[in-house]
Amino acid sequence: MSENGPPVVLVVEDEPDVAETYRRWLRSSYDVRVAPDGATAMTELDGDVDVVLLDRMMPEMAGEEVLREIRDREIDCRVAMVSAVDPDFDIVEMGFDAYVTKPPDRDELTGTIERLLDRAELNDDLQEYYSLVARQSALQAEKTEAELAESDEYAALVDRIERERERVDEELGDMSTDTEFVGAVREIMDDEGGE
Amino acid sequence: MSTPYDIDAVLPDGTIEALPPGTNVLITGPAMVGKREVAFKLLASGHETGEGVLCVSTSASASSMLDEFERYVPTLDRDRVAIVDCSGSDSQRAIREIATERVSSPGDLTGISIGTAKLLQRFSEQDVSDVRHGLVSISTLIQYLDLNTVFKFLHIYTSRIADTDGLGVFTLESVSHDPQTVNTITSEFDCVIELREGEDGREIRVRGLPGASRTWRAFD
Repeated sequence: MSENGPPVVLVVEDEPDVAETYRRWLRSSYDVRVAPDGATAMTELDGDVDVVLLDRMMPEMAGEEVLREIRDREIDCRVAMVSAVDPDFDIVEMGFDAYVTKPPDRDELTGTIERLLDRAELNDDLQEYYSLVARQSALQAEKTEAELAESDEYAALVDRIERERERVDEELGDMSTDTEFVGAVREIMDDEGGE
Repeated sequence: MSTPYDIDAVLPDGTIEALPPGTNVLITGPAMVGKREVAFKLLASGHETGEGVLCVSTSASASSMLDEFERYVPTLDRDRVAIVDCSGSDSQRAIREIATERVSSPGDLTGISIGTAKLLQRFSEQDVSDVRHGLVSISTLIQYLDLNTVFKFLHIYTSRIADTDGLGVFTLESVSHDPQTVNTITSEFDCVIELREGEDGREIRVRGLPGASRTWRAFD
């Protein structure tokens, strides 16, 4: 993940006109890299890349293969599939974090990227939320309700939990969407050692 | 769905009779107090009005789960029961009879989420929009994963159930975990149903919902 500067977006697209359109749309907000095929994409991919926009239909190396390679190399980035074909359930199983129907409009593309950047924060913010709730739970186990009601520290903790939960829920987005839901779970499992 | 999930007659009079869409319920209590039974009854009590049941089973096989359901709903419509089986059982019976997705281990939360998403999609193709989601039990997940991972998963999964207007029913064995752990898990739920063995038999208490009385009452 890029530490400083704008987020890095890698566009993998074999049609030069399409790739150029995306680049023009995105360059004011992101550091955009373009790869015309899967093999080039793999050389462009490093720890700085935050989001990959991956065309599903490419000659030589298909989008699925690039995705598999990204996951095998354990690169911490989120991958959106761009496809003219209406996505079926395979998308979720294959491990794409989102999909965009081709041709996308500008808002759709940037909206997807922003959602995926939010999701990159999800695990850390859920961890923070968990720590606060765990502290609250320890206090509840040690102290009486009357003691808690009088404690300013406890009241401040309750407020922080509320704010952190709001932040997490905003990052979660709409959980009725399958890709968003499975993507969020995948995000927390990446940190669970060996699972 | 805008009408509440009916749970009439599952809990004693004067507790709760219906739950709003998007509610997540946790059932806690010591071992052998009947948490699974209450969970199954809550899950099955809308079955006759066309609702679906989607249950994640962390240790029982899909076929024993199906047997348990049929005990509570003799007229079970098998098209509206779906199970994510994490037991590792290789019994083929239930898999032939009801929609089943198998996950290799209860620790594979990504697999569980994919399984539930597939089964929910199947319900939506059948025009079953009101779905009760079970997860039996959280205690097994805690044996396989760090508490913080289980907590994060529950936050995501309960949000999923809320955002799809479902009803969530989860169980937790309260005695084998320390009070802090139980409090942490409990905080993710809208409503907690506690069961215990009292001197004169089983008792129940409901917390969290407006109007729910916090006193223990007899529950046979």
